[in-house]
Amino acid sequence: MKKIPLSVIFDPDQVYQPETDTYLLLDVALKEFRSGDRILEIGTGSGYIAAGIMGLIQSQLEGNDESSFVVGTDINPHAVRCAREKGVEVVRTRLFDGLRGSFDLIVFNPPYLPTLDEEKIDDWLEYALDGGPDGRAVLSRFAKEVGMVLAPGGRVLLLISSLTGEEAVIENFTKLSYKVEIVTKRRVFDEELIVLRIRKNESFN
Amino acid sequence: MKRSLLDILCCPVCKGDLALDVLKEDETGIIEGTLTCTRCSVAYPISDGIPDLLPRTESHH
Repeated sequence: MKKIPLSVIFDPDQVYQPETDTYLLLDVALKEFRSGDRILEIGTGSGYIAAGIMGLIQSQLEGNDESSFVVGTDINPHAVRCAREKGVEVVRTRLFDGLRGSFDLIVFNPPYLPTLDEEKIDDWLEYALDGGPDGRAVLSRFAKEVGMVLAPGGRVLLLISSLTGEEAVIENFTKLSYKVEIVTKRRVFDEELIVLRIRKNESFN
Repeated sequence: MKRSLLDILCCPVCKGDLALDVLKEDETGIIEGTLTCTRCSVAYPISDGIPDLLPRTESHH
């Protein structure tokens, strides 16, 4: 049987397509970017944000910025192919599993919707949406592991929703001795989208 | 994947270093190949330019 290049086979219905949260997080990430940043996008999905940051690196800095790079990860095989079609360097892995540091800027639009077992849809899109019963299952794991690959002085941009529980998410990170700031908020129908900037509390020992 | 990506990759199970074997490479980077953990010897495929660093024991489509 003739082998068809897998890169062209992905189901767009199995990939989270850019929505208001995606655009909001990209806006913040473009402002946050500094020349020389080594950037990691966890759960890159369609690759829209990673590709947007790559565009900034290439255009604004006219390709002179040799040290900046962007890597995207996703567990979803359709998503990594979709992102790669946009020219994003991708790795298929779960959160930080196959990665070692370090990165100056880590961007994550996590699955944050509170989802009960009986609500599960059991497809790849589920990984983009399902935040467990309280919406924070993946976020908790992210919070525990992000320190392994975050460079000293590095920043994390995290998008959450009022549905996820803003206070609980912030508390989760501050307990792990991170400093959390709210960068922006935007109301979308019955939820509020919030972008957090999270840094290691360098003074904490 | 670009060769330089290897610096930030590790075995997803034991975090060991990965050894790269290239089967196919073009101007965009490595298209087909294998990343083998030098510690636990598990091999992870690179296909269509995408390294797949999911644990091999789990069943993922």
